[in-house]
Formats: sequence, structure tokens, C-alpha cells
Amino acid sequence: MEDLGKISQLVIDIAGYQLVFNLKAMLMTWVVILLLLLFGWACASRRAMVPTRFQVLGELLVSKLYELTEDAMGKTLARTYAPMICALFMFLLLCNWIGIIPHLEEPTKDLNTPLSLGLMGFAIAHYVGIKTKGFKAYIKEYFQPMFFMMPLNLIGELAKVVSISFRLFGNIMGGSIIILVVSYLTYDILFPPFLNAFFGFFVGAIQAFVFTMLTIVYIATQAK
Amino acid sequence: MEFDIPTWIKVGAYAGSGLAIGLGAIGAAIGEGYTAAQATAAISRNPARSGEIFKSMLVGQAIAESASIFALVVAMVLLFTTFQSDSFIMVWAVLASGLCMGLGAIGAGIGAGFPAAAACEGIGRQPGISGRLTTNMLIGSAVCQTPSIFALVIAFILLFTGLDNNPLSPTWAAVLGAGLATGLSAIGAGLGSGLVAASSCEGISRQPTSATVMTNSMLLGQAITQTTAIYGLLISFILLFKAHPATESLAPAMALLGSGLCMGIGGIGPGIGEGFTAQAAVRWMAREKDSIGDLTRTMLIGMAVAESTGIYAMVISLILIFVI
Repeated sequence: MEDLGKISQLVIDIAGYQLVFNLKAMLMTWVVILLLLLFGWACASRRAMVPTRFQVLGELLVSKLYELTEDAMGKTLARTYAPMICALFMFLLLCNWIGIIPHLEEPTKDLNTPLSLGLMGFAIAHYVGIKTKGFKAYIKEYFQPMFFMMPLNLIGELAKVVSISFRLFGNIMGGSIIILVVSYLTYDILFPPFLNAFFGFFVGAIQAFVFTMLTIVYIATQAK
Repeated sequence: MEFDIPTWIKVGAYAGSGLAIGLGAIGAAIGEGYTAAQATAAISRNPARSGEIFKSMLVGQAIAESASIFALVVAMVLLFTTFQSDSFIMVWAVLASGLCMGLGAIGAGIGAGFPAAAACEGIGRQPGISGRLTTNMLIGSAVCQTPSIFALVIAFILLFTGLDNNPLSPTWAAVLGAGLATGLSAIGAGLGSGLVAASSCEGISRQPTSATVMTNSMLLGQAITQTTAIYGLLISFILLFKAHPATESLAPAMALLGSGLCMGIGGIGPGIGEGFTAQAAVRWMAREKDSIGDLTRTMLIGMAVAESTGIYAMVISLILIFVI
């Protein structure tokens, strides 16, 4: 119970500024990246007409996510952004699942990971908005339906970043707290596997999908 | 009779424990009762499938109960843990923790009952796709639990992060406000996202061919419905982790308490309202397959407008924290 909410940090002083590194989250992110690279290699190294098991899995993931992106954004935009969406989903999925293994921790449990991914989606969405509509029409949208609504529209846009990242963070953090506390209360008997299956696999997969879905929708609404 | 700090902490913990499970029992009971009611209706329409409907009812009720089980866990922790502290902040923290979890479980409990009920009805109507319906119901009710999970996070942060070194005034108000912001705002979000999940289950039973689209749009609708609960979570985090300067006056403390109340109460309405929007959108997507794109766009814009009052509440609570 004592390790609830503890974060291992490395603080470096540079020219009066304190740089804080959350070591465990960074390490886990690298573990996820390496695992994903390994998965990609396993999928694509021995491609054949009669696919290997990994190839089937990879093709399934990519084609489903491609379809999803195409439905929301249209063909031309999907060609550019579907690879990013695929990468985002697989990264988040593995991030949420990795906490099931003892001594490993979800990188998404650290607010910095979801927040930076949320900011990435935000930046891409607004880049797409400016590119497809032109700068003038893009700015004009903020003054709809009345000019004095501008501050609220602006806050509404920023609130999207907050909501998308806190949703993922809260769910993963909450799941890990529940697992920790219930395991502690029951002396690790009987409950942990079921809790891990529900909060790790099930909720983790749903939240990874929701995050990806919302990123797609934010990009698509900016393009319209 | 002596009233020292450990005694007061015990008093707070017992009161908080009672509040947690007392309030937390409301939602799940209503949701489960509603599920059972719809299940009996479904069985009377299609008695041949009573076994399947019964099974699905039990599964749905089990998920609907999880918010109450979170409340039970918090209540147990409050009862059986000795909180070591030499500050009165802990008294407020244990009380706020119970209040937060109790209030946070109401919406999720009622909400998760709706999809379970709709799934039972759907199996009665369209027994051929009971597997797909059950999966969709499980996903929908799991997402309904999100606001109660947020409440649980705040409840445990209140209990186990040492806030004792902060000045008593105004931290006591910040602690109480943090509990109320997440707890109250979870009510609307839980209820609203339940409505969305219910209409998605109904949609699948009417139009089994578009099951994937139904699940996807349900997730989208639910995610956006829960936005105000996330604002509540944000306000709670700010209230808990911002360094509040010590003060003798009561006014700054009241500003922090007011900030929590403002976001909490302000978050209820948008949650339910956006739930209505997404519920209708998902329901009509099942009947009008060709205009899913149009419906999605209208749903998103309608929800954004319905959410604006939640954003007003957030702006005022941020002003109460940072400006006043």
C-alpha cells in the first residue's frame, strides 16, 4: 500500500531550471517501443501468400484501423494519417497491457504520456484544419456563432486535450489502484487474476480504442 | 471524553465510511432493479429464451454493481485502516474520500443498468445475436464505470497522499472541494453514458448487420458524454496538488470549497444532456444506415453545445481557485 502514488524521479539542475525525469515511465515506454518493433519485425519479415500467424494479426490490425480512419476522414486524408493512427493504437494498447506483467508498469499511468499524445493529436488536427480550410476560414470558425463566443470556443478546444488525456490517465491509474488495494485487502488470494483481466486487458483495450477514435474524430471535424 | 486528533480522524472515517456505502448503494440498486424488470418483460415476450435472458441479466447486474463494490472497498478501508496524522486535514480528507466515492457511484450504478436492460430486451427480440449483444453490453457498461473509477482515484489520493504539511486553512476546504467536484460530476456522466450504451444495444438487436458501427459510435458518444466528469477530475487534481498559501481568513477557503461545488454540480446536467443527444443519435444510426456520417456530425456538434454550460462551470471554478 505504501507505494501508492510513488514516482521514481531523476531531477537535474541545468542553468537554474529543474529538469525532472520520471524514470520508470520512460523505461517502460522504451520497453513498449522495443516490443512493438519486435512485433513489426515478426509480422513483416517472412511475408508470403500463405501468411504466418503474426502476419495475419498484423494485417488484421492495419486493415481494420485503416477502414476506421477512412470512414471518418475520407480517402485522401486517410492515406496520410492512417499509419499514424495504427501506430497510436498499437502503442496505447501495449502500454495499457504491459502492467499485467508483475514489476512492469503502464507508461499511460503517468499523466505525461497521455498528455503528450493528446497534444500531438491536437497539433495534427489543427494543422489539418488550417491546411484544408485555409487560415482565414480556420480563424473564422472561432467566431461562430457570434464574435463574443471566441474565448469559450478557444477554451472548448483546449478542454478537448484535457479530456482526452485525463480519460486515459484516470482509467489506467484507477485500474491499477483498484488492483493494488484489493490485492492488499485479500492478501493476493483469488482476486488479482480476474481484476487484471478486467482492468488490464478489457478496460485497457477499450480505452486505447477510445483514445484512437477520438483522435480520428478531432482530425476529421477540423477537416470538415 | 477527550477529543484529540486521532479521535476526530476516527469520527471522520466512520462518517465517511457510512456515506461511501450508503450513497454508493443507491445507484447500483436502481440499475439492477431496472435490469431485472426489463428481463422479466423480455422473458414474457419470448419464454423459449428465458435461460439466455436470465444469464445476460445476471452478467449485466454484476457489472452494474461494480461501482457499489468500489464504494464498499473504500468503506472497508476507512473502517479498518488507522490513519496516522497530526493534522486536522486528515479528518476532512477521510470524510471527503467517503463522500466522493459514495456520490461517484450513484450515476455509474444507474447508468450501467440501462445497457443490461436493453441487452435482455434485445435477446428477447433477436435471439440469434445474443453473443454480440452481450459483448456490446459488457463494453458499454464497463465504460459507464469510468466516472466511478475517477471517484475511486480521488478517494484513494485523499487517503494516502500526505497533505499534512500543508496549512490547515485553506487546505481543509480544498480537500472537501476536491471530493465534491469529482463525486458530484460523476453522477451525470455515469447516467448519460448508460443511456448511450442502452440505445446501442437496442440498435444492434434491431439491425444486427451494423453491429460494429453501433459499438464504435457508442464508444464515441460515451467518451464525449463523460467529458464533464473529466473536468471534475481536473479540478480535484488542481485543488489537491496546488500549493495554497496559508490564510487566517475564511474567504479563500470558501472559494476553494465553492470551486469544487461549482464544478461538481455544474457537471451533472451536461452529462445527462449529452447522454440524451448521443442516445438518440445512436438509436437513429441503427435505423438510418445511409446517413451515419451526418448523424455523427450533428451528434458531435450538439454535444459540444450541450457541454458549454459545463465549460462555464469549469471556467468559474478555475477563477475561484486561481484569481480569487
